[in-house]
Amino acid sequence: MPGQELLVKEIMDRGLCSSCGMCVGLCPYIKTAGDRVRAIYPCGIEEGACYGVCPKTSLDISEMDMFVHGREREDHALGIYSGIYYARATARADGAQYGGITTALIGLALREGLISSAILTGGDIMNPRPVLAATPGEVNSCAGSKYTGVPTLLELNRAAGRGLTGIGLVGRPCQVAAVRKLQRGKLPPERTYSDRLVGLMLGLFCFWSLSSELYGFLARETKGEEIIKMDIPLEGPGVLTKTGSRRWRVDEIRPFINKSCNYCFDSTSEWADLSVGSTEQDPGWNTLLVRSGQGRDLVELAADRGVLEIKDYPAGRLPVLRKAALNKKMRVLALAEKEPGNGGCPAIPDKYLREMNVQWGGINR
Amino acid sequence: MSIAGVCLEKPGTKVALTGNEAIARGALEAGVAYAASYPGSPTAEVLGTLSRLAGNFKLYAEWSVNEKVAMEGAAAASFAGLRSLVVMKADGLNVALDFAGALAISGCRGGMVIVLGDDPNAHSSVREEDSRNLCKAIHLPVLEPSSVQEALEMTREAFSLSEDLKLPVVVRCVTRVCHASGDVELGELNRPLPVPDFTRDNRVITFGIQLHALQEQKLARAAEWACHSGFNSYTGPENPERLVIACGPCYMHALEALDMLAATGVGVLKLGVTWPLPHQLLLKYLRNASEVVFAEEVEPFVEDNVTSLAAMQIPRGIKFYGKRSGHVAGPAGPGIGELDPDILASSLAGIFGVKYETPGVSGRAEALELLGEKMPDRELAFCAGCPHRASFWAVRAALELDGRGGIVLGDIGCYTLGMARTGYNLLQTVHCMGAGIGLAGGMANLSRFGFDRPIVTLVGDSTFYHAAIPALINARYHNSSFLCVVLDNETTAMTGHQPHPGRSVTAMGEPARTVRMEELLQGVGLPYVVQDPYDVEATIDVVCNMLGQEGPRVLILRRTCVLAAVRGKQKARVYVDQEKCIGDSCGCGRFCSRVFACPANVWDAAGGKARIDEAVCNGCGVCASLCPQGAIVVERAVL
Repeated sequence: MPGQELLVKEIMDRGLCSSCGMCVGLCPYIKTAGDRVRAIYPCGIEEGACYGVCPKTSLDISEMDMFVHGREREDHALGIYSGIYYARATARADGAQYGGITTALIGLALREGLISSAILTGGDIMNPRPVLAATPGEVNSCAGSKYTGVPTLLELNRAAGRGLTGIGLVGRPCQVAAVRKLQRGKLPPERTYSDRLVGLMLGLFCFWSLSSELYGFLARETKGEEIIKMDIPLEGPGVLTKTGSRRWRVDEIRPFINKSCNYCFDSTSEWADLSVGSTEQDPGWNTLLVRSGQGRDLVELAADRGVLEIKDYPAGRLPVLRKAALNKKMRVLALAEKEPGNGGCPAIPDKYLREMNVQWGGINR
Repeated sequence: MSIAGVCLEKPGTKVALTGNEAIARGALEAGVAYAASYPGSPTAEVLGTLSRLAGNFKLYAEWSVNEKVAMEGAAAASFAGLRSLVVMKADGLNVALDFAGALAISGCRGGMVIVLGDDPNAHSSVREEDSRNLCKAIHLPVLEPSSVQEALEMTREAFSLSEDLKLPVVVRCVTRVCHASGDVELGELNRPLPVPDFTRDNRVITFGIQLHALQEQKLARAAEWACHSGFNSYTGPENPERLVIACGPCYMHALEALDMLAATGVGVLKLGVTWPLPHQLLLKYLRNASEVVFAEEVEPFVEDNVTSLAAMQIPRGIKFYGKRSGHVAGPAGPGIGELDPDILASSLAGIFGVKYETPGVSGRAEALELLGEKMPDRELAFCAGCPHRASFWAVRAALELDGRGGIVLGDIGCYTLGMARTGYNLLQTVHCMGAGIGLAGGMANLSRFGFDRPIVTLVGDSTFYHAAIPALINARYHNSSFLCVVLDNETTAMTGHQPHPGRSVTAMGEPARTVRMEELLQGVGLPYVVQDPYDVEATIDVVCNMLGQEGPRVLILRRTCVLAAVRGKQKARVYVDQEKCIGDSCGCGRFCSRVFACPANVWDAAGGKARIDEAVCNGCGVCASLCPQGAIVVERAVL
């Protein structure tokens, strides 16, 4: 297993780091500031945990499916899941995005003792930051999507150092992948974390995150007004301020898309327990993918307790969602073909590739 | 050696003093009333000694904000009729030169002595500047002591000479004399002081070329005086064919070298007055000489001036050996570094064609072999617990995180060591006091040509007061975009914790009106942030944020020099929990002992784990905050 030198060369120096934060705090050499994660000093160690847990270094999709879900996938658009729904929180937290089910589910898991605390993205649109929330109030204060990469997983290393277990996690697909790599034992034996470190992983839908250049853009465009809310629906990115709202064309923020996201194969957090996204249709609801038994248990509990209202996913919407996810994968494959040997792109077994092409073709027809 | 010796009222007694103490004693014997200095090695202890004795004598002593101001203050006392002393290292003369050159023209009234500490081999300096060339350029007489006794006597007599000539006199003292200790015979103290006055009738003006003519007359009188001065002396045959001309400690080296070579018939002319040259004295011994060797440090100053004198005055050829001929040279080459008896013996043996071998038994190689592993390997490093180490680590981290290839410009102080491994090789420029800020401003002004790297300059607190302010004003005026980081350890640490205007006490221990750095910055109109560098994570954040800002801006990283902070206090105990430290399995790569490299963080090879050398540790606890395993324990935080 290579170490920091290759991580820097293959990932960081090429702008392929997605700022997940998993390597931050494993050693004294990798630090973060805002959305940047950098090696501040060459550690000189040939084999390092940082390379092993990075979601952008060698990652075999089929192996990961087997490790997380115990079987290979049939659906190459959305990965392995047992159910897909529309859902919304019956009591939406202030500032929560769409149906507010992420905040509601994490709050419930915390109240029920299913998790001890949760790693979330707090702060606001212009100044997001990693948060380890230990109370439902702290969870609620993190409600609402942030659109820049925040290295929240550094809190996981910090929590492990404090001996915490049963931590809930809300993260982007790359962050879910990083934690799964960690769980696969990519740490040296003496540093291996407890099996019970992570209690729940709630992954978000994420087609790309934006660089911190976004802040300058928003500050200029809103003339420094406080931003209450941001989202990026089909009509284009928009913000709500105290005095009104602004909306732009996607092309205006496209230059801020993190380079690493162009190589990302996973837009729905395929290895999470639960995946949550927008519906692209009804802003009062979320899309909810149930992927693991543990995820199923939590959703059922939420329904029982009346925390969530759940309804069937509209049959007509599924091809749209699958097409979006597969289109993204195909763009990545095309890019990877154009730049062979490029890091940051997962390894896809031939079987998967063949099936994916069939499914993609099917959609196009 | 002893402050008691410096103020002992027993003329004729011999006491052991250092060269710097002897200079202080000499000044006291001469009745010095006003002494000023900016601290610098090798002469820092002169004013340090005088300031401690200020209460015993009618004496004013100050650590000035810089050498120019020190010299101006001392000159004022002289203008008012008092005897005054100003002390600085060679580099300080460069700072004071504008005034020194003018003062040499206007002349002075009360005896005024300028003690210049030259540092051949640059033991504690960035360069081994030979200040004599500047003294010659501005027409000041130069005396050079070759022993501790002479340091006392020359300083004392320099006041009289200065008063006679109405011209400041320089005592050029090198490290090997300043820092040497020796028995010195004391003279009389308690010379009566005049009452200072400077009336409307007094004029001390630098203007017009007629004063230049007067300067030349003063120097001619000084040369005449030098011919009869006991500070120049000769030993050897009456009309020597072979002559060694030596000054400073090289005089002692020359005597020793000739002894080692058992060379007879070689005359040794010791010059205690090296500018202006005692022409008649020199000609007397040069007249019959056929071979002349020069022994001096650093530049061929006497050599050049004597050869030029001989070219004009002596019709036949003399063979001159020295730095110009390449015959007198240490290992680094002629005119570079110090001389010693061995180097001179080798040089003289080559010139005189005799055999000489460097002593074998007590030779360097054998000595090193004998010492073997007992000699700890010590590189230039910040002290254990030095706040600069934390600051340099944080700045380095922030620059890497910033990722735009920011550059770091350095300055003069303890933190100059930051150019080496102890400061993670961060500094890219090191020149003179305050230069980093001026350079930063210049780099920043290149933005109009497309230069877009973030610029950081690091400066210490004493240097900030000494030389940074004009450059900061310039930066503010031209909106030059850079981050100035003031490494504020609240003292002049490198030279021995002398107070500066940011402190609340003066050199004489009197309460001072502190000049707060923040107020100065407010006055200049520069935004600033104050941060404790011991909180490394927070410091990284602050530096990152400030790197992203525009315009000139200042970050004060404030934490008292650890040596001053722990003085007289019980230090916090810091140790490595041997259960928690997992040694080479950690993946940190021995961060504490190998990379962060505080001298107190050591690697226990036998146990395969990190350890704290508790004898060295000053208890800052910064390593504990950086250990990824949390294996370092701070027992009682006191800092």
